[in-house]
Amino acid sequence: MSVRTGWLALGVVTFLGALIVLTGVYSVGIGQGSLIVVGCGLLLGGVSALSRRRGVREQTGTPDPERTYHVPTPGTSLRETIGQFRQATGDYTVMSRRFVDGLRGGVVAVLTRFEGHSVEEATTQLETGEWTADKEAAAFLSESVDRPSRPLRKRLAAALDRETMFRVGIRRAGASIAVVGYGRESARSVPDSLPKYEEADEDERNSRTTTKQITGTEQSRRRSTEYWTGVGAVALFAVGLGVLAESSAVVLAGVVGVGYAGFARAFEPPVPEIDLERTLGTEEPEPGDEVDVELTVTNESGRLLPDVRLIDGVPAGLNVTDGAARVGTALRPGESVTLEYTVTARRGTHDFDPALVLTRDLSRSTEQEFYIECETTVASNPVLRPIASAVPLRATAASFSGRLQTADGGSGTTFHSVREYRRNDPLNRIDWNRHARTGELATLEFHEERAARVVVLLDTRKASYLAPTPDERHAVDRSVAAAGRTAATLLENGDTVGLAAIGPSRSTKPATSSTHDPCWLAPGAGRHHRVQFEQLLASHPQFSPVPPERETHWYGQLRTLRRRFTSETQVLLFSPLCDPESLEIAQRLEAHGHPVTVVSPDPTAERTTAQQLARVGRRIRRFDLQRAGIPVVDWGPEETIDEVFARMHAGDQR
Amino acid sequence: MNELTRQPTTLSGSVAVAGAVVAVLAAGIGSGYGLGIGFLGLATLAFGLIRGHRGAIDIGSLTIFVGVVVSGLQGESVELTVLATIGVVLAWDLGQDATDLGEQLGREAETRRLEAVHIISSILIGLVAATVGYGVYIFASDGQPVAGVVLLVLAAAFLVVALGSSHRRNNWKGRNR
Repeated sequence: MSVRTGWLALGVVTFLGALIVLTGVYSVGIGQGSLIVVGCGLLLGGVSALSRRRGVREQTGTPDPERTYHVPTPGTSLRETIGQFRQATGDYTVMSRRFVDGLRGGVVAVLTRFEGHSVEEATTQLETGEWTADKEAAAFLSESVDRPSRPLRKRLAAALDRETMFRVGIRRAGASIAVVGYGRESARSVPDSLPKYEEADEDERNSRTTTKQITGTEQSRRRSTEYWTGVGAVALFAVGLGVLAESSAVVLAGVVGVGYAGFARAFEPPVPEIDLERTLGTEEPEPGDEVDVELTVTNESGRLLPDVRLIDGVPAGLNVTDGAARVGTALRPGESVTLEYTVTARRGTHDFDPALVLTRDLSRSTEQEFYIECETTVASNPVLRPIASAVPLRATAASFSGRLQTADGGSGTTFHSVREYRRNDPLNRIDWNRHARTGELATLEFHEERAARVVVLLDTRKASYLAPTPDERHAVDRSVAAAGRTAATLLENGDTVGLAAIGPSRSTKPATSSTHDPCWLAPGAGRHHRVQFEQLLASHPQFSPVPPERETHWYGQLRTLRRRFTSETQVLLFSPLCDPESLEIAQRLEAHGHPVTVVSPDPTAERTTAQQLARVGRRIRRFDLQRAGIPVVDWGPEETIDEVFARMHAGDQR
Repeated sequence: MNELTRQPTTLSGSVAVAGAVVAVLAAGIGSGYGLGIGFLGLATLAFGLIRGHRGAIDIGSLTIFVGVVVSGLQGESVELTVLATIGVVLAWDLGQDATDLGEQLGREAETRRLEAVHIISSILIGLVAATVGYGVYIFASDGQPVAGVVLLVLAAAFLVVALGSSHRRNNWKGRNR
């Protein structure tokens, strides 16, 4: 307090002195010397105060509640993506060597699978550089191939380019592998330009305003914005300079600045009493529907709020697709402002977070931060609407009659074959036409139609929460939606359907934080079963739309599941197939005699070399599964599940 | 998904540029040097406003102010210098305001009302301060002793510092609470 009083006293004394001098009671003979002293003092004060401005000016950053939590895109780490192609040798190699080894492994992997070469042929092609049209990529991966000589202009351009030769080599090699890996005849074309080496790190913005539970209004911070810091200093500087140079214009310019400096300190930020009211277009939308949100902000206090900045707490799982969920305004007492925006519903139950309110005083020099709660919930659950075309199942079946056509002959509706008559064959299946024509007895065989016993198995491990762009619907979301609709289709056809998941849960390790059992619903049919299925899919924590924090010990879960399956159970596995484990899950189930069909939502992208290689890796896994006799339904990001199943039904086994 | 544009808001930004232009022109009438330095500052300020760069806004405004001071030292017109000062402070203030709003709320948010309040309050403060200062100047030029005027200005400066320390004290208390 003493400092302030001191300055205040000094100010008052000087003012009084000025009055005395001005009224002529006492006159100070002011010389050039004292003017210079005063001027220099002011200049020094100004400079020292100005230097304080550096670095103090900051302001509260705001979160991004408009966006959803981020899920990675396959191929986040180039090292891991390349590592999946590399044979584990165990010995230590330097990183660059490991990259080259991994890429060489990748070349062999794609050549053996998609070009029909043996490993030896592939290795020879790799050494001679015949495998690709890109000479530089060939030279990068093989020491026996010389780099093509380039024109001087290109070499100069390369020297000026910041990217190193090594990175360019990796990008070129990755693109060349992709040319083979996507399949040369495939519709999915390789982009003309090379993908980037790595993506610019997107700064991770927070998608929630706060994670705290708030009731009513809660003040969290009050801070000085240092908005006007320095204006006083510059003003004093100008006054000093003006006095020195005896220029009244400059002194006056300084005086104006002093006025602003005073303004900066004159106000106290008001404590807002703000009332929020939120209305939704619908509280239970279907996933993918647009929901209109209307937020009314009312100033309940009796004072003017000159500066209110409000950011609505849009749930982490929802994306704002239209309008803005934030507003900056001034509010008179009792006045209100309405904020309108649209969110796109995603699967799950979403609670709105408290809104973040920043208020400042009129001069913007002090800022207060408040959280104001306004509870609203959007619940969007998957809808079990049957798909028009049949679910691509394997042709094995349970012993009950149903609609799944099997390969076995017997009674049914679709013609299968004609065989010799055996005693006790039913009369209605004897080919009477043939008997009339030739006198021989023959029996018609039809495809037997049986009910399938299907377990819909979802891969919800952490590694499956992937999306082509960070804000897009991730693979687990798509899987859950498709699983619901698939089950509805199967149940409608009289098949028995069960539900299971491999994902984070308690059973794997008692110490983990989650407290729920893995999801298991034994195959069944009927209305009650359908309701159970729907509820589990909507609320079981394993199907959470938020990515889990830890990896899953899937091996134990898989073993438990396998014990629960009866011998004729077939498995419909929903997995993005972006890591080797997903491949192993499918293979293990198949090996234990459960026919597996994989429905694989494609989350891959090709903005970077790593993502491109991850896409190639996924295609290799798909190929390996299909080679092992496990059908894989590839589900592109643009397609709906109806289109995919219709395409499968039409016989296009891509 | 529409991405937030965390760039300076347009209304405050354009008023800031307008203020800066006024400042540069007013300074330029008095002296050629003032005009040149002012244009340099104007370019820096405009760059800062387009890119949302605080440092550039600070430096640009300061440069314009240097131009204003130079023109004030050379020129004769007190009124133009005062007008130019208001312009440059306005440019600096609203430039920062636009950056703040852009970073906190983004260009998509509805902020025009808030910006209008800021623009009007800033202009008013400048006008009031200029009127008071100009009044003292007129008063002083009626043959009042220079020492008295200097003492008056010093008194104002000390009072500002005193108010400032009280402000910081409050702030410190607030943080401790």
